[in-house]
Order: sequence, then structure tokens, then C-alpha cells
Amino acid sequence: MTLESLFEALKRSVEEFKTEEAKQITKKLLKEQVDPLKVINDVLGPTMEEIGEKFDKMEIFLPELMGAAEVMKETTSILTTHLKESAIEYPKPRGKVILGTVHGDIHEIGKDIVKIMLEVSGFEVFDLGRDVPSIQFIERAEEVGADIIALSALMTTTMGSQKEVIELLEALGKRENFIVIIGGAPTSETWQKEIGADGWTETAGGAGKLATKLIEGKMR
Amino acid sequence: MVTPPWRINEILDRAETGPVCLEKDFDLKILVPELRRVIKDYDIQFDPMTPVPSDNSLADSMWNAAMDLYLEVGTLCTDTHRRIKFTEDEIKEALGNFPGKFTFGYGCDSREITNRQIEDTKRPFCMLSPDITCDEDLFVSMSMAYLQEPLADGVCAPILDEIEGMPIRSGYPTEVKGSVAHAMMFREAARRVGRPGIFLKSVGTAESDAAQIAASNPEWGERLTDGRFVASVTELKINNSLLNKMVHFHTYGCFVGALTGPILGGYTGGAEGTAIVGIAYHLQGLLVNQAHFQNYFPFHLKHTCNTTRELLWVISTTYQALARNSNLISTSNGFTAAGPCTSMVLKEAAAHALVSVVSGGNLWEIAVAKNKHKNYATPMEARMAVEVGCGAAKEKYSREDANEISLNLLKMYEDKIPDAPLGKNFRECYDIRKCKPSTEYMDLYKNIKKELIDYGVPFIY
Repeated sequence: MTLESLFEALKRSVEEFKTEEAKQITKKLLKEQVDPLKVINDVLGPTMEEIGEKFDKMEIFLPELMGAAEVMKETTSILTTHLKESAIEYPKPRGKVILGTVHGDIHEIGKDIVKIMLEVSGFEVFDLGRDVPSIQFIERAEEVGADIIALSALMTTTMGSQKEVIELLEALGKRENFIVIIGGAPTSETWQKEIGADGWTETAGGAGKLATKLIEGKMR
Repeated sequence: MVTPPWRINEILDRAETGPVCLEKDFDLKILVPELRRVIKDYDIQFDPMTPVPSDNSLADSMWNAAMDLYLEVGTLCTDTHRRIKFTEDEIKEALGNFPGKFTFGYGCDSREITNRQIEDTKRPFCMLSPDITCDEDLFVSMSMAYLQEPLADGVCAPILDEIEGMPIRSGYPTEVKGSVAHAMMFREAARRVGRPGIFLKSVGTAESDAAQIAASNPEWGERLTDGRFVASVTELKINNSLLNKMVHFHTYGCFVGALTGPILGGYTGGAEGTAIVGIAYHLQGLLVNQAHFQNYFPFHLKHTCNTTRELLWVISTTYQALARNSNLISTSNGFTAAGPCTSMVLKEAAAHALVSVVSGGNLWEIAVAKNKHKNYATPMEARMAVEVGCGAAKEKYSREDANEISLNLLKMYEDKIPDAPLGKNFRECYDIRKCKPSTEYMDLYKNIKKELIDYGVPFIY
């Protein structure tokens, strides 16, 4: 098989979330001395970006997105292990994100989609789960040296907890240390401005672009 | 014994002793593959040109698919990581003992709620609800505005997110305080409009079990003739806090509603999977949430509304399947993309109610403006929905009629859903002292009503 046809087969296996097939192709590529970074940058990254766009347009649904992300994770793991073993410099993540559904809120679907979209966009994500106490976002963000705190809320009765995290950050004198982004069905740009968050995304699918824009802005 | 409750201790026991399952495995290794299997096995297909199908065999296949799915999957308790599963005989026992009618409210304000048939000429039970947060100073005014709507058989109050200047946060003492105030003010509002016994659904302000329990009081708070919700966790999941509410409501003795909203685009995939899970949720609602009635709001992951073409089909097929195969009682909860005082919201409301009622649902109307903007809801949107819903029953509209009309309505608003107009908030289109709509909104309502009548949309008067 030519390099192009192997790349095409890998792309297809991610799209059809065939984990074992993708792992086999990846191993074959490494055996043929293909640069792991080329596989990540030229195949896996663009493929997941396409899948993310399809999900955003509702051409595919959450199970397909999660299935593809799982294949991506498995294959990337093989490639990064190879990079480490070969002592090749591994590209750093674009940034670290602490993510969770806020205190009092048990909904996770939106947060799970955000996690995938952030990972696809090159972020390292620390998922704290749901119903996360406000202080825990801050403590974990400090522990891992996070750049971004991402707060999801699905209920009008729980979106106040997004505000609470920002108020706590301010009270502790740590507001400037983190970019805070929010999202979830009842939230809006107006709410984002009202509580002083740095960014808001209407759809979970837009989280990757939002985080990238904000972190690049911070670096400048 | 009349159900619910159906063998309440069985549920509590199974939530602690059922098969162990991690949540991620439940979602992706059990629910998703089983759902794909039943869609294929029962050959369920969404037809975009038929938002209201007239095919009884499709309705029956969907019921069978949902029953098959629920028998295999059950409900996951996310706190105990246990699956609550049932046998077919148990489901049949619970369904067979469900009475299919209750009297909600008390005295001369009481109303009977029943299950409905496809193309039923029986008037639907009409719950009116803003389904959104409001400013504290608007709470009584907004509640009274909904309570005085003539077609309201019951009302659900707006939600408070602050009390006496303090933000209400779930799990905090302010939530208990706000929930008690919510219940008290809602009772006051009902009495002030002269409907003290009307069925009230509260307390939306109380997200936690503790705050719900705090609001139960026959003298000043939630009465035995009122209704309370036990929600679900998406999809087909429950947790201990929700089960706490279920046990409390049944031991207190009030009516219990199951609140279920499968998400199109989420784990349920497209329209077919969303409808099948929606029907399965009604089985869960009866057996796990132990509900007297269910409030059903499938919605779109991206647009957070249920007036899209796919979701009208989901609503229609769910209600047809329930009507033909059970006597479960369910209210159809509308979610529109557009906000108050826009022509679009009135057309979306008309489409939602028409499709729901002709297919066999009762009504719960209506969350507007994608259900995300505080103070953005008025009784006028709900009025449009229930006038059309009651009209469809009175005028004996068929599924074919509803299909043709909904296709016409979709043409008017479908492409505007992604960027739907926000409209105006309650303060801007109501006289909040008199609880009356503005002249602007009344004129718009009259004009849209005329336009819709020309398209064959039925009205009760």
C-alpha cells in the first residue's frame, strides 16, 4: 500500500470508529518509518476536525463523534508512546483546561462534547465530571497549572454556580490567573458579560475554536 | 392496587442490588448499540415529508421497539452504578394497573386529566407554564397572568433565581428559602385570580431534593392536590437525589410527574432513536419515577427547541405509540426557537400543539426563546398553543390534516430556527400591574390567528 492509501485507510477507520483497524494501520505506518507527527498533523487532526464540523451541522450525532474520538485517542496514544521512546520532542498541548459541570448540576452531555472538541483542538483536558463544587475547579486548576477553567451548566437554577466560581477567583485574588469560559443551554452572551466570564460558546461544538482564540489572544 | 406507586420498595432495592454498570459503558456499550439494533430490527424510518404519520403499524412497531429496548437496557442509577431492570410481566402489571385518569386540583377548580387517543375529540388537559426564570418582583404578576388564562387546567410557575436580593444556588440554604417563597407566592397568585384550587405544579426553583421536601406543606406550600416532578438523567438514568424526591412525594401523597427530554443529536442519535427512547422513558416514568403523569419534551441538541421537522415527528410518533398501546397520561411540552411577541413563536406554538393533540397528547405550553432568556415568556404563546390544541380536538382534526398543516407551518418558520428572533420580554409586552398583554402583542396575535385560520389551523373559538 502507498503512503497515501494508508493515510486514507486510517482516516476511514477513524470515521467508521474501527479502533482495532486504526491501531493496526498506525503500527504499520510506524514500521515504515513514517513521522508520527505527520500522522497526527496530516491525518488524525484534520479527520477529527471534519468529524467535528459534521457533528456541528448535525450530519452525525454524539455516538459517532464519541466513537471517532475514542479511535483517535487510541491511535494517538500509540504515536505518542513511539515519540517518547524515540526521544523525539513531543509537541506540547495548546493549553490545559479544567472542565466540569457546575455545582448542583448533574447534566454531562454538553460537557462531554466540549471535552472532545477541546482535545481535538490540541488541549489537554482535566474532566472533573458533574456537580463539581466551585472551589474544586480552582484547586484543580492550580494543581495542574491550567490555563482555562471551562464551566458547563444546563439548568437555569444552576448557572449561578458559574458566577460563583468567578466570584471565588476574584475574592481569592486569582482571577487573572485563568481564562474562564462558560456554556450550556440556558447560558448566553449576556450572561457571560454579566458574570465577567472571558468567553461563551452557544454550542458545545464551538468550544475548541473559542478556547484557541482566547489562549492565542492571551499569548499575544 | 392502583399504580403508581408500583412496588416502590422493589425500585429502591434494585437501585442498590441490580447489575453493576459504569456510566460510560451504559451510554456507549449498552444503550447506543441496543438502540441501533431495535431501530434496525423494527425497521423504523423517519420520513421528513410526514411529520405526522398516519401509519398505525409504525406506531405499534415503535412501541414494540421501545419495550424491547427498555427490557434490555433498563434504567441506570448513577450513584449506585446499578441497573434497575424489569421483566415483561412486571411492565405489563404496572401498565395494567394504571388507571388512565386522575383529578388534579380541588373544589370547583379541579379538572380531570386522562390519557388520550389518536385523533381524540376529548379536550386535552392544558398546563400553562413559562418554563423560565423571572425577576423576583415579576413572580406574582407573571404567575397571575398565566393563572387567569381561561383554558388553563393547571399552571406551572416561573422559576426564581434570587430571593430577597440573594442569588439562589442549588444545594444552598437560599434554595430552600427561595423554594418555600415560590410555593407561598404561587398559592397567593392562584387565590388572587379566584382559582385557589387549580392544579399547581411546583417547585421549579428547587433543583435539590432538600428544597423540594421543604416546600411540602398543605397550609402554605405544595398541597396533595398539586403535582411535583421527578426528572431523569439523560438518557434513561436516575440518581439518589431524584429517587429521594420520588419517595418523598409518594409518602407525602401529592401527584408525581416524570420529566423526560431525550436529546435529538445526543446519545439517541436521530429522530428514530429519540422517539424510541422517548417511549421507553414513559415506561421508566411509570416504573422508576413512579409517575401519575409524564411531561415530555424531546429537544434538539443544537437549537434547544422541539418545533423542528424531526422533532414534530418524534412527538407525533411517541404519542401515537403510547395512545395505541397504553393508557399512560402524558403532557407534551413545547419548546420554541423564537421569543415572545414575534409571529414566528405563535406559528411554532400552533404547530407543536396541533401535532401533539392530534397524535394523542395532552398539552404543557410553552417554553420559548430556546428556553434560555430570563423573563422571556408570556401567556400569549401558551394561549396560541392551547387554543389550537383544543380546536384540533373540537373540530375532529385527523393526522392527515395535521400533517398537511404542519408542513405549511414549517415552511413559514423552519429556516429561521438557527437565528430565531428573541422578541420581547414579559415587562416589554405585558402591563405587569394589570397582568394584561400589550396592544402591540394583542394586535399581532389577532393578525397571526387570522393568517393561520386561512391555512386551516383549527381554533377552539
